[in-house]
Amino acid sequence: MPSRPHITVDDLRIGYGTRVLMEHTTFQVERGTIFAILGGSGCGKSSLLRHLIGLERQQAGRIDIDGVGEPSQYEGVPPFGVLFQSGALFSSLTLAENLWLPLNRWTPMRGATAHELVQAKLDLVGLGAFAEYLPGEISGGMKKRAGVARALVLEADLLFFDEPSAGLDPISAVELDQLIITLSRDLGITVVIVTHELPSIFLVADNCIVLDKAAKGIVAQGDPRKLRDESEIPFVHAFFTRSSYDVTANPGG
Amino acid sequence: MSVALRTDREGGHATLVPTGSFDLSHATEVTQAVSDAEASLNGCRSVDVDLTQLDRIDGAGAVLLARLLDRLEADGRQASVKGDNPEATRLIALYRERRTILPAPQIRTTNPLTRIGAVVAQLPGKANDAFDFIGRCAVAIPKAAVTPRSVDWRSLPSLMQEIGADALPVTSAANLVVGIIIGLLGISELGRFGANSYVPELVVVAHFRELGPLVTAIVVAGRSGAGLASKMATMKVSEEIDALRSMGFDPVRWLVLPRCLALAVTVPLLTWVGDLLALVGGLVATVVMTDMTPHAYMEGTLKAITASNLLTGLIKAPFLALAIGLIACGQGLLTRGGAAAVGARTTTAVVLAIFSTIVISALFTLFFALMGA
Ligand SMILES: Nc1ncnc2c1ncn2[C@@H]1O[C@H](COP(=O)(O)OP(=O)(O)OP(=O)(O)O)[C@@H](O)[C@H]1O
Ligand SMILES: [Mg+2]
Repeated sequence: MPSRPHITVDDLRIGYGTRVLMEHTTFQVERGTIFAILGGSGCGKSSLLRHLIGLERQQAGRIDIDGVGEPSQYEGVPPFGVLFQSGALFSSLTLAENLWLPLNRWTPMRGATAHELVQAKLDLVGLGAFAEYLPGEISGGMKKRAGVARALVLEADLLFFDEPSAGLDPISAVELDQLIITLSRDLGITVVIVTHELPSIFLVADNCIVLDKAAKGIVAQGDPRKLRDESEIPFVHAFFTRSSYDVTANPGG
Repeated sequence: MSVALRTDREGGHATLVPTGSFDLSHATEVTQAVSDAEASLNGCRSVDVDLTQLDRIDGAGAVLLARLLDRLEADGRQASVKGDNPEATRLIALYRERRTILPAPQIRTTNPLTRIGAVVAQLPGKANDAFDFIGRCAVAIPKAAVTPRSVDWRSLPSLMQEIGADALPVTSAANLVVGIIIGLLGISELGRFGANSYVPELVVVAHFRELGPLVTAIVVAGRSGAGLASKMATMKVSEEIDALRSMGFDPVRWLVLPRCLALAVTVPLLTWVGDLLALVGGLVATVVMTDMTPHAYMEGTLKAITASNLLTGLIKAPFLALAIGLIACGQGLLTRGGAAAVGARTTTAVVLAIFSTIVISALFTLFFALMGA
């Protein structure tokens, strides 16, 4: 494994307008690992992700993706696949067309081969039979899975998943976790994942950061299993043991 | 890095040896190599794929190899993966495992007669939807009277502002121009008989009775109809309407009623202002093009303005307004799907609203003609 981290975030400050969500945020994501971003609802996990993929400019600090540089400056073949929290499928296109779109834009693949690749990705997330459905005609969990399939279609070596297993039944959620593990272990893909599902965190994540709205930044980082067993910080402890320091008690806003 | 799929044959057994990068950026070459290798497998009973010499593989390469193995097995051959490459082996296995066997796709009928039939078959359903909606609106009025709090009265002033006041410049301009047109038309036709003095009457009769309400309604249908329909459609697709329902609101009472009311109040006012501007338009045209004095024109106009001329026009306006409101809101609420459906519904709503305005206007004219008014 090369020693250079896949993502380097250095003294980052992000926010909207004059409102600061997070500051002095520093962390690294090693290549080929699964990295979890944890924290209460509304603490800025999705916002951090939007900055990491370059949709938003940070107020201060540095984000560097290995081989890409500053993500907001990057142009060309997308160096990463993204699953948005809402799925963000194109509502006027069928699932197959949703997957076909990036393939058609960025690769010379056409006809039967493209169809085969698209179909295989949909099969992978268990949606093989729904290729011709419109996003409006499938369930919320299915939209999530279709979003995962679309994120995989360009075979990028970096994936960002915003709450992939939210809204999935336990079996589909475990299947998705297994898929993520396979992608990371066998293909060496780096996966950055926002999730609230504790079982999934302990199963898949090699490393994590825990964000807190009040602290405006990272309150803990490391191996989630270690944090669960050893962390002294009440918020972190409560988060991992689902105890009374209720993280959902202060809803976002 | 070149991509190849070598075939080593020993009698009925073959070993396929992929070399190079089996990934998305080489997928075209991989597809070619796979189909070439497949063609050379005639007469083989068993096939092994040896993954040891593979430089790189990703999901795309794994899919292409997995489907090759699937096809070989479907042909009744033994196919397996060997070689010390656990990552690639697992990946190919994953794609083989999670494969959906699809039923053969249904061929869509493109026979034009079938399509016409299908469209016609939808008509009763659509008419039914429309009547159902009108029925729900009709029921909503007494219910709203009983429980006034089920109507969003607070939005009424801002709706009247949006639908009425903000539309004033454009409806006024349209009416002014139509007034000028009628004036010019009158001068050129009546002038041939030396009857220019009848131009004021022509402007009053044509505009007050027919064109005024129609022009105003068409402009409102295009402007506010589109606005209302897209707003309602967006609320529908983003589940806001469902959320309202779940909280015990009737969307017809809460949303549709105030909008229709705002239209029914403001469109007659817009029509009335439009009538005045049409008179100005006719006056300008006549005074500029003929030797009639403004004073003479006004006198002619005042003589022509009778209660009958004014009322036959103004009485239509609220009905046209209601039609616009019901169509725009009804179409909006029928939306299903995502963002694209919003656009399609808005288009349908505007087209239907404009068309029905014209038809309703014509029906009124027919009615008044039969009544001899
Ligand atoms: N486009 C925006 N403009 C202004 N503020 C925003 C915007 N997007 C998010 N915010 C604010 O940033 C904060 C964090 O939002 P974010 O979506 O990142 O939360 P989150 O941690 O992903 O929460 P959840 O777990 O509920 O998805 C929220 O308080 C929100 O109000
Ligand atoms: Mg979020």
